[in-house]
Amino acid sequence: MPETAFIEARGLAKHFGGVQALAGVDIDIRAGEVHGLVGANGAGKSTLIKILAGLQKPDAGRILIDGQPVEIETPQQATALRLGFVHQELHLVPQLNVLENITLGAPKPTRLGMVDWRRVRAEVQPIADKLGIAFPLDAAVTRLSTAEKWLVSIGRALVRKCRLMVMDEPTASLSEAESQRLFQIVRDLAADGIAVLYVSHRLDEILDLCDRVTAFRDGNRVLELEGEALTRQALVRAIVGGDAPEALIASDAPLSREVVFRAEGLRRLPMVKRVSFDLHRGEVLGLAGLVGAGRSETARMIFGADRPQGGAMTLEGKPFRPRSPVDAMEAGLGLVPEERRTEGLILEKSLAFNIGLTNLAALQVSPLLPLLRMGKRTTQAEALVRRLLVKTPSTAIPVGRLSGGNQQKVAIAKWLARSLKILILDEPSRGVDVGARAEIHRIIRDLTAEGLSTIVISSDAEELPGLCDRVLVMCEGVIAGELVGRGITREAILHASYAHAEVQKSA
Amino acid sequence: MAENIKAGHETARAQFSLRLTVLPFLAKYGTIIGLAIMIAIFSFIAPVAFPTVSNFVNVLNQASLGMIIAGGLTVAVIVGELDLSIGFSASFLGVLVTGLMVWVGLPVPVAIIAVLLVGAFIGFINGIIVTKIGVNSVIATLGTGTIIVGLNFAYSSGAPIAMGVPDAFVDIALGRLWGVPHNVLTMVLVIAVLWVVVERTSIGQSIQAVGGNPVASRLSGIPVDRVKIIAFMICGACAALTGILLASSLGSGTTSAADGYLLSAFAAVFLGSATLRDGEFHILGTVFGALIIAVGFNGLAIFGAPTFYQYVFQGAILIVAVGLSSLGRLYAAS
Repeated sequence: MPETAFIEARGLAKHFGGVQALAGVDIDIRAGEVHGLVGANGAGKSTLIKILAGLQKPDAGRILIDGQPVEIETPQQATALRLGFVHQELHLVPQLNVLENITLGAPKPTRLGMVDWRRVRAEVQPIADKLGIAFPLDAAVTRLSTAEKWLVSIGRALVRKCRLMVMDEPTASLSEAESQRLFQIVRDLAADGIAVLYVSHRLDEILDLCDRVTAFRDGNRVLELEGEALTRQALVRAIVGGDAPEALIASDAPLSREVVFRAEGLRRLPMVKRVSFDLHRGEVLGLAGLVGAGRSETARMIFGADRPQGGAMTLEGKPFRPRSPVDAMEAGLGLVPEERRTEGLILEKSLAFNIGLTNLAALQVSPLLPLLRMGKRTTQAEALVRRLLVKTPSTAIPVGRLSGGNQQKVAIAKWLARSLKILILDEPSRGVDVGARAEIHRIIRDLTAEGLSTIVISSDAEELPGLCDRVLVMCEGVIAGELVGRGITREAILHASYAHAEVQKSA
Repeated sequence: MAENIKAGHETARAQFSLRLTVLPFLAKYGTIIGLAIMIAIFSFIAPVAFPTVSNFVNVLNQASLGMIIAGGLTVAVIVGELDLSIGFSASFLGVLVTGLMVWVGLPVPVAIIAVLLVGAFIGFINGIIVTKIGVNSVIATLGTGTIIVGLNFAYSSGAPIAMGVPDAFVDIALGRLWGVPHNVLTMVLVIAVLWVVVERTSIGQSIQAVGGNPVASRLSGIPVDRVKIIAFMICGACAALTGILLASSLGSGTTSAADGYLLSAFAAVFLGSATLRDGEFHILGTVFGALIIAVGFNGLAIFGAPTFYQYVFQGAILIVAVGLSSLGRLYAAS
């Protein structure tokens, strides 16, 4: 194996607003090696990939290929430098067949000005054979399984004769057998002299597959390991930034409060495998875990947006089977969704419009006459705006004009006009500044003090300590750990987030 | 050199203010200014014929049917769908209402109510196709519209139903109350009802919400499919009313009498979205849009312009309307 790096990054830095996504990292990837990249959510992995792919420009630092400095300003330049990417969301064109997708955008041989598909096919076939593509090349990509789509995406990079292949969370939606097949392909690619950058949350995979591993934490490279030094413990310590606390799954603390909601064995494959928990009155229950652990999907089932395939729920002791969000709302549930701009709010409508939307029936002149009392809508919105300290000149302006933090407060406010029992908040402080985050936390605490029960989903392990009474850590569709009171720490949450190996063995 | 740089700065600043102040202003008030300019020009060129009370009443009368069908279309467009079947539907229902009276012998009010229900039912079918089967609304309503043309020919054999239309029916459109044509009064009433429904009722808020963001609406507990179906039904009923009033005005049910309303309704709706609000569809805007089109046609008629100018005008105004509308949305987004 050659010891000189195919591609090197030196001192790459990138910030978004006040957030330092990358704080001057170095990484080098050699030809013929599988290089693992690990780190918690927000550690800077995606930013690095986007810079290499020409999707984002670094603030500082340089990139060298074969020792020569290069500029990667567009995805086309990345392709020309023979860098290939298989992103987490596979960007395939559903209308085109496998062959057309594999060669999409690549120069093709022509005959009399027309694409010579016979020669294209002849060029692609060896690559397809190497990847073990058993399905016909003129199959529609919509008919393919996720694993097969991955093969098409990898084929697309190989057709362009890439020398670096970056794979972002390839096994997140693959089965065990499909993953094994993928690992063999990755090893074959490396054996052919391709440099592979393999990004994954699954440490077992990383340990199994990678020759060297780089770990990021908070935008810094904290570790680079190879050979004997490459152990699970060392990786976890690097990702978490400290040793794991002793009692990880230490619950059984007597919670005397009344159980409001209970989930038993909730299942909706592939994301949610088996989720059981209790929610108590007036509790702030955190739901932690890595992206893709099944938290939002669990929340959607509780809110009636998706149907569970198995399991049961009870609300105040009675069976609870919401068939739609309307059912869940009538039972006293509210959901502040993860994507406030696309799921939580109607941006071009006013604050009063958005806040009134969950409560139209109560704003009617009478149940039979659907005329709305607009004055009441305004006073109600104004009262909530004051209560949540939303900074806005009036409730008549479009909510899209507010800052992220204030938008999020409106997304919360629209539920407070109703009489609620449970409020689920999915990533309530994502993309808001520190001050707004503190205010949103204060709002959540105030609401629970009034007897409301809340479930707070957060990928930011620093958010939940100090906010939650109890935290459940989800991992690959199951509850992997439960933390109570002082046991809720950033380290404990991260540690449990990577606990999937133990969970799967015990399952 | 320094002069040049300074001039460059000046130009940059001028462009800056053009982009940030003039264009958004035009996108919001351009249609109203355009209407005023049109009225001023026509009054100047034809001082005897154009600026008279009777001509303005005449313009309103001519605008009324287009305004009703465009008002209904506005509701469908607010919910985020298009309805291309309205013109064909209005033509067919105009034939159907006369047929029900002349051939079946139904009393006038019964025939009218029945046909209004048929119009709403066509909207219901459109809504089901779009929401439950998932066909894009352009294709779905193009399909139903074409089927309706077929039904129309099957029902009427292509010949107008003119003989034996009751006077009471003709009087619905042609009569006057306190000197104001019935059509104008009907139009004012329908527009008022549509405005209240869209702006001041739960269903109207739901229609606006679904058009704004269907995902957020669903997660706010709004039955998205049902709301879309209701919007299509309102649109269909308005098309039916236009068809009925047109048959009444003509004194006959004529196979393709109302087909042309489709284009003018779209022009009115899009012009309306560039009026007072930033590219947002709304009833009051549609009223302005329909007025512009009516004044334009009236002017062309007064000058005795050949028929082909009407088509040129209508095509051009549609393009200008959609252009202004997307301009408005562009500035609302920035």
